[in-house]
Amino acid sequence: MSTAAAEHSLGRAEADGVAARARGLTKAYGSGETAVLALDSVDVDITRGRFTAVMGPSGSGKSTLMHCLAGLDTVSAGQVWLGDTEITALKDRELTRLRRDRIGFMFQSFNLIPTLNAAENITLPMDIAGRKPDEKWLDQVIDTLGLRNRLRHRPSQLSGGQQQRVACARALASRPELIFADEPTGNLDSRAGLEVLGFLREAVDQLGQTVVMVTHDPGAAAHSDLVLYLADGRIVDRMEHPTAEAVLERMRLFSGSGAQPSALDPRATTDGVGAPADARTTGPTDLDKD
Amino acid sequence: MLKATLRSFLAHKGRLVLSALAVVLSVAFVSGSLIFSDTVTRTFDRLFASTSADVTVGPKDDDLGGQMPSGAVDTVPASLAERVAKVDGVADTHVDAAVENITVVDRDNESVGPTTGAPTIATNWYLTDRSPVELTSGHPPKGPGQALLDADTAKKKDVAIGDTLTVLAAPGSFKVKIVGIATFTTTNPGAALVFLDTPTAQSRLLGDPDAATGISVTADPGVGDARLKERIAAALGPGTYEYQTADEQADSAAASLGGFLDVIKYVMLGFAGIATLVGVFLIVNTFSMLIAQRTRELGLLRALGADRRQVRRSVLAEAALLGLVGSTLGLAAGIGLAFGLIELMGAFGMNLKSTEMAVGVGTPIAAYVVGLGVTFVAAYLPARRAATVSPMAALTDAEIAGAGRPLRTRALVGGVVGAAGAAALVGCALSSDTGSAASLLGLGVVLTLIATVIAGPLLVRPVIRVLGGAFPALFGSVGRMSQRNALRNPRRTGATAAALMVGLALVAGMSVASASMTKSFDNEIDKTLGADFVVQNQNFLPFPQEVTDKVRDTEGAGLVVRQRFAPVAVRLPDGKRVETTAAAYDPRLDEVANVTYAEGDSAAALTDGALGMDVNFAREHDVTLGDTVPVRFPGGKDAELKVAALTDQDTADGFGMQGGLFFGTGTVERYVPDGQDSALYVNAASGVGADELRANLERTLDAYPQVQVRDQADYKELVRGQIAVLLYLVYALLGLAIVIAVLGVVNTLALSVVERTREIGLLRAIGLGRRQLRRMIRLESVVIAVFGAVLGLALGLVWGVCVQQVLALQGMKALAIPWGTVVAVVIGSAVVGVVAALLPALRASRMNVLAAIAHE
Repeated sequence: MSTAAAEHSLGRAEADGVAARARGLTKAYGSGETAVLALDSVDVDITRGRFTAVMGPSGSGKSTLMHCLAGLDTVSAGQVWLGDTEITALKDRELTRLRRDRIGFMFQSFNLIPTLNAAENITLPMDIAGRKPDEKWLDQVIDTLGLRNRLRHRPSQLSGGQQQRVACARALASRPELIFADEPTGNLDSRAGLEVLGFLREAVDQLGQTVVMVTHDPGAAAHSDLVLYLADGRIVDRMEHPTAEAVLERMRLFSGSGAQPSALDPRATTDGVGAPADARTTGPTDLDKD
Repeated sequence: MLKATLRSFLAHKGRLVLSALAVVLSVAFVSGSLIFSDTVTRTFDRLFASTSADVTVGPKDDDLGGQMPSGAVDTVPASLAERVAKVDGVADTHVDAAVENITVVDRDNESVGPTTGAPTIATNWYLTDRSPVELTSGHPPKGPGQALLDADTAKKKDVAIGDTLTVLAAPGSFKVKIVGIATFTTTNPGAALVFLDTPTAQSRLLGDPDAATGISVTADPGVGDARLKERIAAALGPGTYEYQTADEQADSAAASLGGFLDVIKYVMLGFAGIATLVGVFLIVNTFSMLIAQRTRELGLLRALGADRRQVRRSVLAEAALLGLVGSTLGLAAGIGLAFGLIELMGAFGMNLKSTEMAVGVGTPIAAYVVGLGVTFVAAYLPARRAATVSPMAALTDAEIAGAGRPLRTRALVGGVVGAAGAAALVGCALSSDTGSAASLLGLGVVLTLIATVIAGPLLVRPVIRVLGGAFPALFGSVGRMSQRNALRNPRRTGATAAALMVGLALVAGMSVASASMTKSFDNEIDKTLGADFVVQNQNFLPFPQEVTDKVRDTEGAGLVVRQRFAPVAVRLPDGKRVETTAAAYDPRLDEVANVTYAEGDSAAALTDGALGMDVNFAREHDVTLGDTVPVRFPGGKDAELKVAALTDQDTADGFGMQGGLFFGTGTVERYVPDGQDSALYVNAASGVGADELRANLERTLDAYPQVQVRDQADYKELVRGQIAVLLYLVYALLGLAIVIAVLGVVNTLALSVVERTREIGLLRAIGLGRRQLRRMIRLESVVIAVFGAVLGLALGLVWGVCVQQVLALQGMKALAIPWGTVVAVVIGSAVVGVVAALLPALRASRMNVLAAIAHE
C-alpha cells in the first residue's frame, strides 16, 4: 500500500500551498426546526498539486461540499477561499467569472454542449471569456487525452468515455487552479472509467493540476492522493495514499447499519489482503450505489 | 387513460398558456365579428322596419350601376301624392324631398357634416308615428329660412337654436336659421340631418316646387302592405314607378347600408382568419415540443401496455381540452371585443346600444367549431407522432424525437406544390387577360405559401447559415451556440418562423402593389394633367353649379374645363352590354390635359353626338371608328353616339371607369340635365402667376369646404391617399399577425429553454455569465425572426411583382419596389426577435445552476 502511495508522489511537484480552503463551512436546507444541515461547520484545505477524493454515503454532503468549494452554491455560514479570493463574499457575476477562469468542471453526465464539436467544447470557457487558448498547452492536453482525431466530432458522435475525456480536456484547457470532478466515472463502464481516472491522475502528476473528485466508488477513490470521508455533513476521517481495499474497509466503519452485507462480501475478505496496488481498480463498486 | 390525460394537461398548463392565447385570439375575432355584425344588423333591421312607410312610391330604378355619381337626383312629380291618396285603402300620404351628400356649413364656413364619410342629409320635415326623430326643442321649420338640426350634430358642432347655417344645395346655396333640434328616438346611423319644410325642400333642394324624391303612403287599418302596393301600382301604371312595401324598403335600405357593414364584417373575419392561421403554427409547435419532451413518459405508457390509439387519443384529448378552454375564453373575449367595437362606432357617431348586443345561436357554435377545430387539426400530426413512440423510448435515453427525422417527404411535397405555385405565378405574369391572370395569381399565392410553409424547415439550414454566418465572428462562442441552437431543430425553427412569414409576405406583396400603383398614377398624372389647378371634392363627389360659376368668376382664372360623370350602359357590336361610368368634358380639353389618341382627336370626340373610348376596349368589343353605339343614360334615356376617337392611355380603366368612355359636356347636359360637375380644370389667365391664382381660388372656395384647389403635386397626394387607405388595412392585419407571431417565438423559446435546462446549467457552471446567456437566447430569437422575415419578404416580393403584372394589364405599368419598407421590415423583425426573447431569456438567466444541472 505504501509503495503505491509512494509511486503517486513520484514525478510530481511538491505540494506548494493551498488551492482552496473552507472554514466553518455550513450549509443548511430549509429553516427553523425543519432545517437540515448538509454541511456542519466543515474545515478543509485542498492542497495544491494533489488529487483529493471526497467520499461518503448518499446524503453525507459530499456533493454539497464540492458545490460550495466551486462557487456553484451559496453557503449558510463560514468562509471559502479559492487561492487568496474569498468566494463566499462574491456576487453572482464574479462567481461566474471565477468558475470560468479559475475552475474546471467535470460532471457525471451531460458534460458537453450538444451543438458544439469536441474542439469547441474544450475551448468553450476561454471562448466565453474572449481569451485565446494557449495552443501549446492545448495540444499537450489533447494529445494526452488522445482526442486528436475526435476534435471535429459532435458529442452525439462520441462514446460515453470519449465524452468524459472531452470534458476532462475542457476542465484542463484553461489551466485552472482547481478541477472539480463530480462522479466523473459514474456513468461509464469500468474500462472507460479507468481511462478517465488515469487521465485525472496524469493531470496531477504530469501537468501539475489540482483535482478534487467526489465519488462513492472506492476503486475510483483509490486513484487519489488523499481521501476525505464525509458523514452527516462533517469530515469524519482522512486517508493518505489510499488503496481500494483500505478505502472499502474504512467505508464499512462509517456506513453504519447499511454496511453489513458488504462485510460478508467474499471478495472483500479474500482479495483484500496483500493484493497488488493495481487491484484497487477492481474493488467492488456497488457498495454505496444509491 | 383519461386520468393520465387530465393530469398531463394540468401538469403542462404553464406551457399551454401561449397556445391557449392563440386559440383565444382566433375565437375572439370570429365571435366578436359575428356578434358585432349581428347586433348592427338587428339594430338597423329594427330601425328600418319601424321607420319605413307601409308603401313608398319612388322613381324607377334604372339598374345603372355606375360608380361615379352624376350628381343628378331622380324625382317623381309631387302631384302623385294626390293620385295615390285616392286609391282605396290609403289612409295618408306624404311627399318626400330628401337629398343625400349635401354640404351644410356654419358661420365659419366649416362643414357641420360628419367627417367619417357618413352622409349629410337634407330632407323635408313631417312627423308620423314612424319618424326616427322627435322635436325636442324649438318649433318645426316654417318657410324658406328655417331649419331643424339633429341633436347629435348640434352637440358635436356646437350649433344652437338661433344660429345660421348655409345649405350648399345643387340649385344654389341658401341660408337657414336653426329653429329647433330633432333628436333620434332610434339608433342614429351616424348621418347629419337637416330638416326643412316641404315646399322649401322641394324648391331649394330639388330645384322644382313640384318634384319629390318619393311618396310615403300609410295604409288603412286592415289593409295589407302587399295588397295596397298592388292597388297603387295598378292606379299609377305598374312599370312607371318603383313601388315598395315596408318590408321591401327596409330590406333595400339594409342592403345599401349592408355594404359598409359587410366591409367591417369581412375585415374582422380577415383578422380572425390570420389569427387562426398563425395560431395553428403555434399550437403545432407547442404540441410537437411537449411530445418531444415527454418521449420517455409516452414510451413508459406504451411499455405498460397502452396501445398506439390510446396514446394518440390521449394527446388529442389534451388538445380538445385546450380547445375547449380557449374557445370559452375566446367567446368571452369576443363579447368584449364586440362591446368595444360598438363603443367605437359610438365615437364615430353611430349610436348602437351595447345593451342590445345580439349573440345569435351561430356565434357560440362558430366559436367552438373554430377553437376546437383549430387545436384538433394542429395537434393531429404531433399526436400521430406521439403514437409512434416505441416502448423502448422509456428505457433508452432517446434523442428528442423529431429533431433528426429526415425531411424527405417535406422536400418532395414542398417541391411539387411549390413548382405548381411557381407555374401559376409565371402563368399569371405571362397572361394577357385580367380575369385569368387574377385567378392564376390567387392560385399561385396560395400554393407558394403552402409550399414555403411545408419546405420551410428545409430552408432553415442554408438560410440561417448565411444569416447567422457572422455570429461566431461577432459574438464568439455565444453567437456560435445561438446560431446552432436555431439550426438544431429545423422543423421547430421553420414552424416558428412561418407564423411571422405569413404576415410579412402579405404586407410585402401589398406594399409592392400599392407602391407600383402610386408610381403608375404619378406617371400618369405627370403625363396627362396639363391644368394649373384642379378643383375637386376629395372623395370625387360632384358639387353644385354655384361652385363652377364662382371659380369662373375668380380673378385671374383663365380657361375652366368642367368634368362630369354619368353612369351609362353601352350595347357594343359584339353583343355585350357594359355598365360603366362615362366622363364628359368641355371642348378645350387639350389645353388642360394631354390625351394620346390612336385615332381621332379631342375635338371630334367632344362634339355633340360623338363618343370617345379606349382603343383596347374598342378592339376587344369590335368597335371601330365611325361606329354608332346605343348608350343608355339614367332615367331610361337612350342615345345613339358615334365613336369619333380612340384613346391610347395607360390608365384608361380604373375607379370603375371601364372602357374609358367620354364625350362632350353638351351630350351629358342633354341626357342628364340635372348633373353636377365633378372636377374643374383651371388654367391661369395670361399674365397671372400660379401662386396668385391659387390664392384667389382658395379665397373663392372658402365658402365651399367640400371642394379644394390642387396643383399637380397635391393631386398626386390625393390619389396616393386613396391607395394608402388600402395599406392601412394591411398594416392593421400585419400588426395582428406579428402579435401572434411574437407569441409563437416566445412560446418556442420558452419551451426550448425548458428543454435545454441541463445545458444551460452546464454553461452557467463552466462560466457563462447571465448576460451572455441572455444574449445567446436573444440572438437565437433574432435569427429565427429574421429568417421568417426573409422568407416572407422573398415570397411577398414575388407576389407583389406578379400583382403588378396584373395591374399592368389595367394600364398601371410602373413597377416600384418599396425598398424602404423592405429594410424596415427586416430591422423590425430583428426587434421582434429581441422583444420575443425578453421573457424566455430572463427565465433562463434566473435558473438555479445546481437545479438545472440535476434536471432530468
